[in-house]
Amino acid sequence: MTPYPHAREDRLSAKTGRGELIVSDLNKSFTINGQPRRILDNINLTVRPGEFVSIVGASGCGKSTLLRLIVGLDTEYSGELRLDGERIATTSLDRGIVFQDHRLFPWMTLEQNIELALLNTDTPRARRAQIVADHIALVNLKGFEKAYPHQLSGGMAQRAAIARALVTEPRLLLLDEPLGALDALTRVHVQSELQRIWMAQRSTMVMVTHDVEEALYLGDRVIVMSPNPGRIRRIVEVDLPHPRDRRSPLLHRLKDEILAELTSGADADGDAGNLVHLPSREAR
Amino acid sequence: MASRAADFPVAGGAGAGFRFRLPPVGAVVPLVALLMAWQIACLTGLFPPQVLVPPSGVARALVDMTQSGELQRHVGDSLFRLTVGFAIGAVAGMAFGAVIALSRLAEAALSPLFMTLWQVPVIAFVPMMVMFLGIDEPFKLAVVAIAAFFPMALATFDGIRGVPRNWFEVAKVYRLRLPQLIRRILLPATVPAVLTGLRVSLTRAWVVLVAAELLAADSGIGQMMEMGRQLFQIDVVLAGVMVSGLIGFLLDRGARWVESRATRWRAA
Repeated sequence: MTPYPHAREDRLSAKTGRGELIVSDLNKSFTINGQPRRILDNINLTVRPGEFVSIVGASGCGKSTLLRLIVGLDTEYSGELRLDGERIATTSLDRGIVFQDHRLFPWMTLEQNIELALLNTDTPRARRAQIVADHIALVNLKGFEKAYPHQLSGGMAQRAAIARALVTEPRLLLLDEPLGALDALTRVHVQSELQRIWMAQRSTMVMVTHDVEEALYLGDRVIVMSPNPGRIRRIVEVDLPHPRDRRSPLLHRLKDEILAELTSGADADGDAGNLVHLPSREAR
Repeated sequence: MASRAADFPVAGGAGAGFRFRLPPVGAVVPLVALLMAWQIACLTGLFPPQVLVPPSGVARALVDMTQSGELQRHVGDSLFRLTVGFAIGAVAGMAFGAVIALSRLAEAALSPLFMTLWQVPVIAFVPMMVMFLGIDEPFKLAVVAIAAFFPMALATFDGIRGVPRNWFEVAKVYRLRLPQLIRRILLPATVPAVLTGLRVSLTRAWVVLVAAELLAADSGIGQMMEMGRQLFQIDVVLAGVMVSGLIGFLLDRGARWVESRATRWRAA
């Protein structure tokens, strides 16, 4: 069952772009205690239209910063960030984001929360209610239109946040650890939902996560990042059609590879990973 | 999904089931007990009637003053002052609180002065204000306005400063314009704090008004009590105590009702 509106194709073609993200020579520094600190170091990445890209990496590798730059909440960077050729200078309704915390407004019903996203779109008023209803159906929340966020479970609230992000039909959807706050079971469930939604929607998606399994299950490609400063360490192609089977041997093999890379990486980089110095080792 | 719909709490009834609900009669018992103890203390002659009038005597005074219209006149005068003074003080407090919350410069310049004045009991301003304003209406309105101003300003400040930064990011992502941001995010987000401030400052303003009327007034519930004291009409004094307590109680209840109606979206 795909509850997605049929008019999708027409509306997409009416838009100028298809959702191609190009990141080139991207650098980002923060000033911490008066010292400039490099957060992102020379990031180069092209996300194809309609592709699902996952980004994994240890905390502090700048992956959330990267998303904030792409969505336009942070605009101080050097290098190039372009969506369909257009340089990213601020936020835009062409770029949606789902945060780790759902960030629904507690005084608005689910319906009102989603409709808020349409406030400054050129969607005719008369059609808004229908579009909101379609997206509530898309994330399987029919029947909860009038519910307030505190009446929803964590998984439901996060799906509502996904619906809000999708309702403007962004060319690019960014997901910043969207399932990070969910319990393990809900997480698996929402992962499958997210895959189904992406297949119905086919807009470009970039998801940041610290869960390698999740990254592989959803991503066409998995970008592995290393910290201090944040760099792209490796790009893994996941050559499996969607919908995927979690038990696929390929996914498991890739997971082992990436985990090995992430954990060994610390040693190779020197200081970062060696939090514990074993005296016996140093003595030799 | 159908199975989940079952544990979806119905709006309005949310959370009510967990609270221990005392039947309305339950709250009356301590009140009746107090009145009975009071009456017995008077009947046993423990206190002379010039000092402590029994509840029955107070009730009689209340009936008499109601029939003569005297009580209504005093209560009406007091409530009028409360309404006008509170409206002025609350609006000014909200405006001031908003300004120091939104401008770091205003906060740096004004908050030390504000915090110092806030520590002064409102009654301490009375002697000075009587000199400037006399004891007529402007004086009482000013006392009420000052009493309402401070808690209101503080609540508004906290309310605005307490709006999570995250929410502004959401507004930015959806390209909300400033008027939309104010109306749809900033105002609703500060409503709970502002309403709590309104309730606190309303009851505070009432207490301060009655006290000010005790000190200097020609009418009002406080003045009624003061006149009763001077004429040794202890029944009138006690009637005033009861009426002002009752009005304060009703103001608090009314404000709480408005608060809960306006913030039904909050988790119970």
